[in-house]
Amino acid sequence: MKKLRERAAELLSQGVVSLVLGYEEGTKRPRPLFCRNSVNAEKLIFDSRCIHNLAVYITKKELVGKERFAVTAPISTLRSIMQLFVENQLNEEKLLVLTVDLNGELREFTTFDEIAAYVAQFELKRGEREQELLSKIEGMTREERWKFWMEEMSHCFKCYACRSACPLCYCSKCVVEVNRPQWINPWPAPLANMEWHINRAMHMVGRCTACGACGDACPIGIPIDLITRKMMEDMAPEFGYIPGQPAKQGNALSTWKLDDREQFIR
Amino acid sequence: MSSNTDFEPKIIAFVCNWCTYAGADLTGTSRLKYATNVKIVRFPCTGRIDFLLLLKSFAQGADGVIVSGCHPNDCHYTSGNFHARRRWIAFRSVLDLMGVDIRRIQYSWVSAAEGSKWADLVNNTVADIRALGPYAEYQKVADYLEKEGYNEEA
Amino acid sequence: MSKIGVFICHCGENISATVDVERVAREIGGMEGVAHAIDYKYMCSDPGQTFIKEAVKKYGLDGVVVGACSPRMHEPTFRRACAEAGLNPYLCEMANLREHCSWVHEKSEETTEKAIDLVKMLVEKVKKNKPLDSIKVPVTKKALVIGGGIAGIQASLDIANTGHKVILVERDPSIGGHMSQLSETFPTLDCSQCILTPRMVEVAQHPNIKLYTYAELESLEGFIGNFKAKIRLKAKSVNYSTCTGCGACIQKCPVKKIPSEFNAGLGTRTAIYVPFPQAVPNKPVIDRVNCNYYKRGACKICEKTCQVGSIEWDKEDEIITEEVGAVVLATGFDVKGTDFFPEYGYGQYKDVLTGLQFERLASASGPTFGEIRRPSDGAVPKKIVFIACAGSRDPAKGIPYCSKICCMYTAKHAMLYQHKVHDGESTVFYMDIRAGGKNYEEFVRRAIEEDTVNYVRGRVARVYEKNGKLIVKGVDTLLGGEQVEIEADMVVLATAGVANCGSEQLAQKLHVSYDPYHFFAEAHPKLKPVETNTAGIYLAGACQAPKDIPETVGMASGAAVKVAALFSNDELVREPVVAVVNRLAPPLYSTCVGCFMCETACPYNAIEHEEIKGRDGSLIRNSARVNQGLCQGCGTCVAFCRSKSIDIQGYTNEQVYAEVMSLLND
Repeated sequence: MKKLRERAAELLSQGVVSLVLGYEEGTKRPRPLFCRNSVNAEKLIFDSRCIHNLAVYITKKELVGKERFAVTAPISTLRSIMQLFVENQLNEEKLLVLTVDLNGELREFTTFDEIAAYVAQFELKRGEREQELLSKIEGMTREERWKFWMEEMSHCFKCYACRSACPLCYCSKCVVEVNRPQWINPWPAPLANMEWHINRAMHMVGRCTACGACGDACPIGIPIDLITRKMMEDMAPEFGYIPGQPAKQGNALSTWKLDDREQFIR
Repeated sequence: MSSNTDFEPKIIAFVCNWCTYAGADLTGTSRLKYATNVKIVRFPCTGRIDFLLLLKSFAQGADGVIVSGCHPNDCHYTSGNFHARRRWIAFRSVLDLMGVDIRRIQYSWVSAAEGSKWADLVNNTVADIRALGPYAEYQKVADYLEKEGYNEEA
Repeated sequence: MSKIGVFICHCGENISATVDVERVAREIGGMEGVAHAIDYKYMCSDPGQTFIKEAVKKYGLDGVVVGACSPRMHEPTFRRACAEAGLNPYLCEMANLREHCSWVHEKSEETTEKAIDLVKMLVEKVKKNKPLDSIKVPVTKKALVIGGGIAGIQASLDIANTGHKVILVERDPSIGGHMSQLSETFPTLDCSQCILTPRMVEVAQHPNIKLYTYAELESLEGFIGNFKAKIRLKAKSVNYSTCTGCGACIQKCPVKKIPSEFNAGLGTRTAIYVPFPQAVPNKPVIDRVNCNYYKRGACKICEKTCQVGSIEWDKEDEIITEEVGAVVLATGFDVKGTDFFPEYGYGQYKDVLTGLQFERLASASGPTFGEIRRPSDGAVPKKIVFIACAGSRDPAKGIPYCSKICCMYTAKHAMLYQHKVHDGESTVFYMDIRAGGKNYEEFVRRAIEEDTVNYVRGRVARVYEKNGKLIVKGVDTLLGGEQVEIEADMVVLATAGVANCGSEQLAQKLHVSYDPYHFFAEAHPKLKPVETNTAGIYLAGACQAPKDIPETVGMASGAAVKVAALFSNDELVREPVVAVVNRLAPPLYSTCVGCFMCETACPYNAIEHEEIKGRDGSLIRNSARVNQGLCQGCGTCVAFCRSKSIDIQGYTNEQVYAEVMSLLND
């Protein structure tokens, strides 16, 4: 942590970057810090409580500016950054990624390949909460699943915090705001909510890196992160990719293989 | 969900222009008969078929959906059907996770030469959906704003 | 509000017999946005089209829906009529009331209601249609003809004679195809080679034809008017620019026992070979599979024999690229071998032949110089049996169709046999005699009456060998199913004509459809017999279905005319069904965020990167842009775009959404 502060102060004072995006202590848990001068670098922290996915800010030009900037990133954020690289949303020349490895050493990355090599050693696993809920859902009949999700969805009031928290929801105009035609009604109603979440899951196929930010952001605690997570787990073996390790060429849905499954096609 | 003989399922078919639409034309040219329940919407390619359209169909009261295009390797646009196939694999998986009844979506490959296959596909799908009954579970939710709402039962 | 005109066609009685067309017109007339709705007996007729044109003017229509046959049939007709009346043609749509409704349902309330729904759907679509301008693309005035049989030869010559360049690609070392293997041709008995060879030579010498023999199509990209063909020139191992075709190498080649393809396996050839004496080009290739040098690394006798040093041992396959505007497929057919028939000995009896093998026996240039002799012992057969429909019209064998040419060539074979073996006895077992064609029936009667060929209507159950004879066990169904047994010296099977090997793969390379038997599919069985579903690719000859020489030649000329018509304009007018990435006012410029997932989804590499820049030249955003020349309008990118930033003209999100909503909203 000390090394991180020193390095951040150095980068800022030398003008290598104009911003270090990191974490500081909050009232209950760490919160994002937009550190624009070396004095503030003293506030930077980096530990296991720092789970807020800062990758969500790095596609927003109004926040990060046009200059080069640095971002401190735990594994889940690194995965998001990789996916953003794949989707042509980042410029290697303008981004410096900082992380602290298992030995407490500061690591710096500038390219997709460097991050990929580092991330490859971490396997993406279900946590206790995910395991418990997903096995419950997996054990349900179809009708029970429908009831379960409709019950959950009936509480959703479409605040779109899930969308705002997701680093991969960077569209300038979201499909729910498209009104010619109005594919998905923007107001909260069970079906409109359901459609939004099915749509979100489809848009995340092959892209979601299971950072869990959407679920954390939900003010009423709908486990929506499990939808995209389960999709990732199911589709990875189907389409031949490793969960949490975005491949450089092509998204799972925009590519295909001759021997993709088709037993369901009559 | 007992099968109801009075129940006439509403089925909408999303088909590609080059294979299945032409195949359905051949069904007509060959004067093969099939059920009137299915109405065809023409697309240039199965690759064009948006999953949201399938969702909207159920929301608007469809009891079943047919999605059909060219056989693998026969796509007029080389690979639209391969992209579609992937999309459907993922879509089925999402729907199943959410508890949507994926038996109501029938995917098929019907070529321009398979007029009789199209007739069989329609008749079999109509029979299957008739056996499943109306998709009230979904339609009830769709009517939420106009009627009393989802929670009446719960 | 829209002013839509709706025109419901009776199609004679094709639609009105099962659909209450008047009710359809009446109910649609009451729809919001419909200004005018009528029904008429034949909308596609002149008076019918005039109704549309007049209504467009009288009511100031801004959209037209014609409820008639399939849009695949008459969409161009009605769009043209609208254009003539001053309405943008892309504001006209068709509801398919015939193929998708009246022909597939019985007369009922439901059928009429479905028809109403189908028209409603298109009315809702048309409300969202936008005027579109067709796209003009340049045409490369050069044709690619694949296959150098009589179909390819005729098509090439016809196109070349209109003044356009032709690339003719042939898989074998010589052009000529199956026709060059035939002895005489029905119904005139003129010699096949005599009429074919002059045309082969003409191809070779024509200034507008570039001939690539021993070559195959590797890939085809692009679209009508603008194809890019990659052609693999297989290594001939002989330098054709220096080779004089003297043939010394062929005489000295020590590998002499290779079954000759040209002689259908009845004769032999060498490893360095010219397939037949009249081959074009008349220069040899080395068959690397059988050549001693390529097999064992030693021999090179041909190199020593060659006076001009033309042998090229290390020559590799070469891949060349040709830009062409149209493609004619003329890859022909093949016949089933005798090994396909367990009941006729699985091909193990040497004297059971296919019709094609018999052609070689009867041919003056064949292995027996035109004498009919048994392959087993060289004896002249005194009793010969011809079995028609060997495989054809036999669903159990997977070939339910009629091979069409066998009735005629079997009559010809029997006739040729009788002409050559005067004391011989010939018997033909047949199912039906199909002799439709000018002078065809007369020809068969001649075989039966003048040449005393014994025609037996019935199937042959079994052929087996006994004491050097072939025992043919059949039945005569005209004589009450009486058993017939003939001790024959030779049996000739008129084996089924099937798609040429590799036709499925070729169809996939070209993206043309094919039928369940792998014959290429025409765009319409009656009205577009030479077109394929892929614009700019045409069919000639037996690659579409088995057919005889006059039909093949006629079809080849037909395909050539299609190509010539395409080449008669410098520009081709294309349908504007292409994808478009939206462009908006600042500060958004476009809703496209440039994730370029559409780039990997596009089968045509039509997605380009565009840097949208501000007035000061600074980059505002990277967006996708569609190259309209390359885009073929599949719309895969549209369904893939998360922010709905790409749309496809003619099938826009608004249009298809309106269709779906109208179908289900009651």
